Amino acid sequence: MTLLNMFLDTAAANSAANYLPIGIQIFFAIGFVATMLVLSNFMGPKRKTSDKLETFASGIETHGDARQPMAIKYFLVAILFVLFDVEVIFFYPYAVNFKELGWAGFGEIVLFVAFFLAGFVYIIKKGALNWED
Amino acid sequence: MNNIAYLVPLFPLLGFLINGLFRKSLSKGTIGIIGCGTILLSFIVSLILFFDVKANGGVVVNYFNFIDVASFQIPFAFQIDQLSVIFLLIITGIGFLIHLYSTSYMHDESSEHFGRYFAYLNLFVFSMLLLIMGANYVIMFIGWEGVGLCSYLLIGYWFKNINYTNAAKKAFVMNRIGDLGFLLAVFWLLSKLGTANYVDVFEQASTGLSSTDVTAITLLLFVGAMGKSAQIPLYTWLPDAMAGPTPVSALIHAATMVTAGIYMIARSNVLYSLSPLTQDVVAVIGLATAILSATIALFQNDIKKVLAYSTVSQLGFMFLALGVGAYTTGVFHVMTHAFFKALMFLGAGSVIHAMGGEQDITKMGGLVKKLPITAWTFVIGVLAISGFPFTSGFVSKDEILLAVLAHSPVLFWFAVFAAILTAAYMFRLMMLVFFGGFRGTHEQEHHLHESPSAMTIPLIILGVLSLIGGFVQLPHVFGGEDFFNQFLAPIVPAVTHEGAEAATLEYYLLGGTIVILVIVYVVTKKLFAVDRFDGVYTGFKKVLADKWYIDELYNAVIVNPLDKLAGFLKNVVEKSGIDGIVNGVGKFVNYASRQLRLLQSGQVGNYILFMVLSIAVLFLVFWNQEIIVQFLQKIF
Amino acid sequence: MNAIILSAAFGVVMMLCSFLIKNKSNFRHIASVALLILLIGNIADTYGYTFFAIDTHGMLQFNRFGLLFNSIAIGSTLLYVLLTGKEIENAGMHVAEYFTLILFVLCGVTLLSAYNNLLTLFLGIEIMSIPLYILTGSDKRNMKSNEAALKYFLMGSFSTGLMLMGIALTYGGTGTFSLEVVRNAPNMYKGLVSFLEILGLLFLLVSMAFKVSAAPFHFWTPDVYDGAPSVFTSFMATIVKAAGFIAFIKLCAVRMAETESVVDWKMIYAIIIVATLLVGNITAVFQQSVKRMLAYSSIAQAGFMLFTLISLNDMAYEGILLYSAAYSLATIGIFAVLVKMKDYTFDGYNGLAKTQPVLAATNTVFLLSLSGIPLTAGFFAKYYMLAAVVKTGNYTWLVITGVLFAAVSVYYYFRVIQAMYFKEGNAETTTIVPSFKYGLIALAAIIILLGIFPTLLLRWLYF
Repeated sequence: MTLLNMFLDTAAANSAANYLPIGIQIFFAIGFVATMLVLSNFMGPKRKTSDKLETFASGIETHGDARQPMAIKYFLVAILFVLFDVEVIFFYPYAVNFKELGWAGFGEIVLFVAFFLAGFVYIIKKGALNWED
Repeated sequence: MNNIAYLVPLFPLLGFLINGLFRKSLSKGTIGIIGCGTILLSFIVSLILFFDVKANGGVVVNYFNFIDVASFQIPFAFQIDQLSVIFLLIITGIGFLIHLYSTSYMHDESSEHFGRYFAYLNLFVFSMLLLIMGANYVIMFIGWEGVGLCSYLLIGYWFKNINYTNAAKKAFVMNRIGDLGFLLAVFWLLSKLGTANYVDVFEQASTGLSSTDVTAITLLLFVGAMGKSAQIPLYTWLPDAMAGPTPVSALIHAATMVTAGIYMIARSNVLYSLSPLTQDVVAVIGLATAILSATIALFQNDIKKVLAYSTVSQLGFMFLALGVGAYTTGVFHVMTHAFFKALMFLGAGSVIHAMGGEQDITKMGGLVKKLPITAWTFVIGVLAISGFPFTSGFVSKDEILLAVLAHSPVLFWFAVFAAILTAAYMFRLMMLVFFGGFRGTHEQEHHLHESPSAMTIPLIILGVLSLIGGFVQLPHVFGGEDFFNQFLAPIVPAVTHEGAEAATLEYYLLGGTIVILVIVYVVTKKLFAVDRFDGVYTGFKKVLADKWYIDELYNAVIVNPLDKLAGFLKNVVEKSGIDGIVNGVGKFVNYASRQLRLLQSGQVGNYILFMVLSIAVLFLVFWNQEIIVQFLQKIF
Repeated sequence: MNAIILSAAFGVVMMLCSFLIKNKSNFRHIASVALLILLIGNIADTYGYTFFAIDTHGMLQFNRFGLLFNSIAIGSTLLYVLLTGKEIENAGMHVAEYFTLILFVLCGVTLLSAYNNLLTLFLGIEIMSIPLYILTGSDKRNMKSNEAALKYFLMGSFSTGLMLMGIALTYGGTGTFSLEVVRNAPNMYKGLVSFLEILGLLFLLVSMAFKVSAAPFHFWTPDVYDGAPSVFTSFMATIVKAAGFIAFIKLCAVRMAETESVVDWKMIYAIIIVATLLVGNITAVFQQSVKRMLAYSSIAQAGFMLFTLISLNDMAYEGILLYSAAYSLATIGIFAVLVKMKDYTFDGYNGLAKTQPVLAATNTVFLLSLSGIPLTAGFFAKYYMLAAVVKTGNYTWLVITGVLFAAVSVYYYFRVIQAMYFKEGNAETTTIVPSFKYGLIALAAIIILLGIFPTLLLRWLYF
């Protein structure tokens, strides 16, 4: 049993000739873009000033280093937001199938919310959302 | 009632654990009580079992599966039947008396060693009970090894004496040779029948085993018995085993352990009866051992050595009985022998005790005046072993001789010769030790005293048993009931000597015995007249006194060449060959380890690269598997 | 089912306890009780008493084998908490969370022993792995611990990616996530299996091999096991790893076995086994730290457990359970002693027999068990593994290789014994309380008992 054979067999089923037009099209598409980029680099006008090398910040003058340490709280709040946000998404399928699922579905969603709340209570009690400490 | 069977070995095991673990903190009194008490409890339980078996017959009690591998099972089970309860009674009964005796005999030991002694002794009883009660050969083998171990430990009990530890080693090695035979036999059985349970084996023996199988298995089992029961050619350890404390010699090397071989063959009687060849081998070896060791015993000067050779000789008698198919008789002789040989060993212990450790009979004499109880019970023992009419020894030996006569007259006359020798060396021993004048030092004479009651009570009990123990199997002519054989009949086919012919034979034997004993007594008295005795032998006597030079022969033929070979292997083959290879492998592994360690660089990137490469390799394996398979097949 | 629900519920309870209960030392007791209830619940399940009747639509399937494994895993965790609970308390600031995470890991373990669907397999693996990333990094102030956690997380993510890729490919090939597949005609390779499925299975195999740290996907193991706090290494290297095996075996027994006629999976297993045995055993030889040696030894032991994949017969199933129990118990014991040591190198053990005879003696039993010396559980475990392969009649060369490497393993295990008993030194330990010693003795007793009567455990498989 060989992988090569598999590939060959697959190829036999879809013979290469069928793909020739597509191949030509891809070739020309890539070739056109590449040619244009190279040509514009050589032929276009160039202005080499120090302003042009500055970081673009919506026109405001930049100051300091972007890589300075930031309070971990930002990350914590951000990650918690994502977490709960994603959990909320699970309500959508429930809302759509509200009637069909009946009381059993209701019980399950209550359980889900309970778990959810337990987590919420936990992060509050642990002080994860306390901004000042 | 059989649900209490497990208690029998449990008590000694507990005794072993308590005495062994707490020997440093317990007082001698407590140790003694635990040591003896556990055996007494076992004896009581054994008695209950005995009456139960007598009323209801034997059973196999299954506890759990000891080995359970797929279709192959070895249960941990006890077989409580007529044969095993007899041995249970002998072991626990005599064991108890000897434990009791030991509390006094070993009293000079320090408390810790006293505890060690009793722990070993209890462990021995436990192992022996396991050996007897096991319902298959594997459990029996556990006990078989256990008693071997205890024997080793107890022979080397005074381990500071290098000779004693050597004797212990000798016993162990000789036993191991035999054990190998036993093991091979069990493996053979397992491979042919897939079971080691007595019940199943005996049921399937005649159908499931070819005659070659049976002969090989029984011969191998007999090799095991040779080791444990000291038969030619593996008997030389037993006399050396006398290095252990005297009660140990009495219990292990006379009354119980050495009879394990007899028990095993009696237990396997179904197999042995299927193989006439093995039976002949057993009979001939037994008889040869009986005569050879009896001749050696004639000129030994160590009181325990005489008794040891006498034990070997009596064991030979038992094997003779087994060999001619008289299994019950063999077992019966085990019982009577246990009585009188334990009695004599304990008597010897009492004498040694009184003589302050002296064992040389040339330095004794006339002890009957100072040690009356010891002396007279010893005389009973001598009479019993010599086969004096109506003592236990007479009844059992008589029956052996009759069985042998029915089998082959030639063997019979040899057996009679051995019996005469027995009487001779025993009378010699008795006269040299207890009668005539004292030949030891003045100090020893002054010190002579009768032993304390803890030692004399067992002597008296054993003396009574030696006298009347034979009545359970008294021949019909003398009004006997044939009780012993009938009891064993469900397990072991009984030999009966019925009819007028047997009765006449009995009378002949009775008369013959008395006449022979009188002649032997007169001759012995003349030969070993105490006043002319100096303990130095010349000529053929010296050959006998030096035990036919068998030990020297073994040394020259087996030990020395092996030593030479071992020396060669050690100095040449191992040093330059095997060591080189082993060290080379070790060095290679170490080197490989150092190199492989470098793969673990600590860089996650590297790791993941390796993983991806490995995945790629696995793809390659997909691709061209056949080639790799062929490659590996070529290597292996 | 009991164990899955209860472990998750207890995890949540434990989590809430973290701010409801102030006294740190109570957490350990609560966790022990929770684990005990979990164990009882699981045994009840084994006897057919299910407390929660939930229809999983065939995504989970409970059988004797899986339930018995749960019992072993939960029981081992219980012993682990009883023995080293004190050290878990000292591992960091968030004690209750550690127990919570352990309970969540158990939830994943119980899922893995019952999964019948690739989704539940994925869920189980992730529920089991994510808490471990956190536990690995629980010693926040220690750079090594942080490094280990990050490495573990990165490489774990890599393997998760592979697994998802594999699941997606098999889905493409078969049109279902279910473990049992009805294969339909289109997309078949040579009329048997879809090529996509084969490719997917290969990815799944690689990611599972990563989880059980089989070479050449083992690279994370030494670094992570070495860097993580020792108590948690003990947990990771035993229960978690064994659970990975149970999942791996199920996958191979169903999916790989079905495609056996197309791909010679066994040859791939054989290559992985040899590589694992080689790397684990050989590299362990030269280590200086006992902890790192144990990490490599755990790779080597994984090599032995992988033998199950080759044999896949009744004996192998019995064997893997026995192996899980023997290996977990012994390793927990060794780590319990290790965390008490002040110095983790081999020299740190010098003369332990004199200063702490009980620790040395029990540690010897554990090491003997790991090296597979008779009369310990490890012997029968190895015996079952090898005998099961012998039974298949093929791969004798693999068995011989296994035995040879087992002999190599004796070397590094005995180095510890040698250090404890035959080298002069003054091994220093932290304070040892008597109850800890009794715990170790009990553990050693269990190992010896299983070494004499392996059926004590295995009879639960059939009653």
